[in-house]
Amino acid sequence: MDFTLTADQSALCDAIDRLAQRFDAKPIDFHGFALASAELDRELEEGSYFDIAQIPELGPLSAAMAVERLARCAHASETALSMLVRPQLPGEFARALALVENGRPGRFVAQARTLILIDGEELAIAEPAPEQLEAVHSIYAYPMGRVKGELKRNRLSAADAASIRSWLRVALAAEASGLIQAAIDSTVEHISVRKQFGRPLGSFQALRHRMAECQVLAGGLRWLMLKAAWSGDAGDAALAASHAQDSGTRIVYDLHQMLGAMGMTLEHPLHLWTYRLKALFSELGGRGGQASAVAQHCFAAA
Amino acid sequence: MDFAWTPEQQRFRAELRAFLAEHLPPNWEELADGPASELQSQFANGFCGKLAAAGLLVPHWPARWGGRDADPWTAFILAEEMWMAGEPRGGQYMNVNWIGPTLMRFGSPEQQQRYIPPMAQGHTIWCQGFSEPEAGSDLASLRTRAEPDGDHYRISGQKIWTSYAGYADTCFLLARTSPGKNGISIFLVPMDTPGITVRQIPSVIGEGDIHEVFFDAVCVPATAMLGGEGQAWDIVRAALSLERVGIPRFALASRALQRAVKRLQQLGRFGNGAIEQAARAQAACEAARLYSYAIIDQRAHGIIAGPEASAARYATVNAERAVGEFVVEHLPEALAGGDALLQAHHQRAIVAGIASGAAEIQLNLIATELLKLPREPR
Repeated sequence: MDFTLTADQSALCDAIDRLAQRFDAKPIDFHGFALASAELDRELEEGSYFDIAQIPELGPLSAAMAVERLARCAHASETALSMLVRPQLPGEFARALALVENGRPGRFVAQARTLILIDGEELAIAEPAPEQLEAVHSIYAYPMGRVKGELKRNRLSAADAASIRSWLRVALAAEASGLIQAAIDSTVEHISVRKQFGRPLGSFQALRHRMAECQVLAGGLRWLMLKAAWSGDAGDAALAASHAQDSGTRIVYDLHQMLGAMGMTLEHPLHLWTYRLKALFSELGGRGGQASAVAQHCFAAA
Repeated sequence: MDFAWTPEQQRFRAELRAFLAEHLPPNWEELADGPASELQSQFANGFCGKLAAAGLLVPHWPARWGGRDADPWTAFILAEEMWMAGEPRGGQYMNVNWIGPTLMRFGSPEQQQRYIPPMAQGHTIWCQGFSEPEAGSDLASLRTRAEPDGDHYRISGQKIWTSYAGYADTCFLLARTSPGKNGISIFLVPMDTPGITVRQIPSVIGEGDIHEVFFDAVCVPATAMLGGEGQAWDIVRAALSLERVGIPRFALASRALQRAVKRLQQLGRFGNGAIEQAARAQAACEAARLYSYAIIDQRAHGIIAGPEASAARYATVNAERAVGEFVVEHLPEALAGGDALLQAHHQRAIVAGIASGAAEIQLNLIATELLKLPREPR
C-alpha cells in the first residue's frame, strides 16, 4: 500500500493538467448545455493520451486519473470510454465510443464510431455508419445522440460482457469523480466571494457543513474509483459506481441551492457539471443496477 | 500508487488473526457487553499481556520501549484486526495509539520510565480527562484548575463523559494553570490519588463506558505535569492527530454488514430494498477504509495528517450510520437478543460522530482547511 504517485504518473498528471487548464473555463458568451471541444479531443489524440491504459508503466489507474482530471473541464470530451473501456474490448475499435442502453439516447452517440449496446443482460458492439446516428437536443450538458434504425451487432461473450460492464463502471466513477469535484470547487468559489448580511455566504455554518459533507463524499468516491481502476475487480468497480451515483444524487441539488439565484442561470458554469452528472445517474441500471452488482460481487451467497 | 499489501503485511495480518482465533474465548461475542465493562476490562488485562508477550501489542513503538520500530501500516493493521474482533484490548488501545507515543515525545525521563513499560506489558489502563460539563467541543473553555502549592499542584474541578475511568490507573488530565487557551496544562494523575471520585454514567454504549470524574483539591507533585505549563494545546493537537483515524471503525462496521447480509440471505429477506441499502453501506465502509489508508500512507511518509484526517473521520461516521440504519431497518431482531455482535456494533457506532471531537468540528475543519471557505465570525 503506497499512495505516492510514481514518476511516470506524476509526469502524466502534470501533462494532462497543463492541457486541461486551457479547457477548464466556460466561454463567457456560452449560455447553453452541451459544451464540447473538438480541439481538446484532437490534442488528446495527437498526444496519444487515449492509449495511456495500455502503457505498462501507466495502466488503467493512470488513465482513470486522466479521465477524472479531464472531466473537471467545462468543455466535455469523450475520454472515459476511450481511455478505460476501449483497451478491454475484444479487438481494435475506433473511437469515439458511446454507450447505448436499451435504445435510449446516450452521451456522444452521434459522434461515435464504436457503440457498446446494452439490452437487458446482453452486451454487443456495433460500428455504425454516421448516417445511422443522429444528434438530439438535451439539457444533459453532453452532446447527446441516438441510433436510427437497425445496427449490425457483435454480441460479446458472457466473460467479455462481465469485464466490459466492470470497466464501464470504473469509467462512470472516474467521470463522476471529476464532475463532482469541479462542481464543488465552482460552488466554493462562488460562496467564498458572494456576500449577504455583510459576510461571505461560505462563512455561514449552514453552508459550510453541507459543503464539507459534499467534499467528504467526493473524496471517498475518488479513492474508490482509483482502487477500482487499479484492481480491475468487479466488486471494487460496483462499489465505486454505486458511490458515484449515490453521492452525485445527494449533492447536485445542494450545490445549485447554495448558489442561490446564480444556480438558476446558464451564466454560471455549475450546470455543465451537474447536468452531466444527471446523465450518469441512470447509466448501467442506476443505483439499483450498481447495488445488484455489489450484492453479486461483495456479498458472498449464504 | 499501489493498493496492494506487501507479503510482510499479509503475514502480519494472518499472524494477528491466528492469535485472535487462539486467544478469544468461544463466548467472546457475548462478553462484549460494553467495551469498558468489568468483564471486558478484566479480559483486556490478560489479553493485552498475552499480546505483549507475543510482540503484538506495540510493534510500532521504538525497540527501547518494547516495540520493534514497525511502520504506521503495521500499527493500523493491528488496530483494524483488533477493532474488527470487537476490540479485546479494551481501553488499552489508547495507550498503544497515542498516550504511549505522546509520553515518548513530551514526557520527562522519569515519567517515561514510570508509565511506558507497564503500557508495553499490557497491564495498565488510562483515561482521558478532557471534556467537562461546560467544555465539550469548546475544550479550550475548560474550568478544572490546577493551583501551584509549593512543589505541588492542587487540582479541583470536574470531568465528564470520561471513557474507561472506572478501571483506569492513570488519568491524562487537562487542567487550567492560567487564563486563556494557552493557560492549559497536562497532568498525569494516578487515579488512586486522594480526592478523586468516579461515578459511572449509564450509556447506550454499554456498561461502564462513560463517567463523571470529580477532583477535590487533588494534590499532585509538579513533576506530574507533562511538558511545560500551558503546553497542553500543542501536545493534545499532536496526540489527536494520531487518534483521529486511530479507531478503524469501518472494519467492524463492514464485518457487521457482512454478517447482517448473510443472515438476511439465509432468511430469504435480502430483497431489492435491502440490497440497495446494503450496497450504499458497503460503499461507505470502503470509502472510509481507503480514506483512512490515505492518512496512514501520509504518516508512513512522515507527513502529519492535515484536514484530510477530518474527512476520513467523517467518512467513517457515514459508514457507521449507514450500517446501523441498515441493520435496524432490515434485521431488527438483531438488537432484540438476535445477535450479540451486531448489537455491540450498534451500541458502539453511536460514538463515531461524538467521541474524540464532535463530527461537526471535523466539518468545520474540512470547510476551513480543505475547502478554504471563509471562517465563521466569532
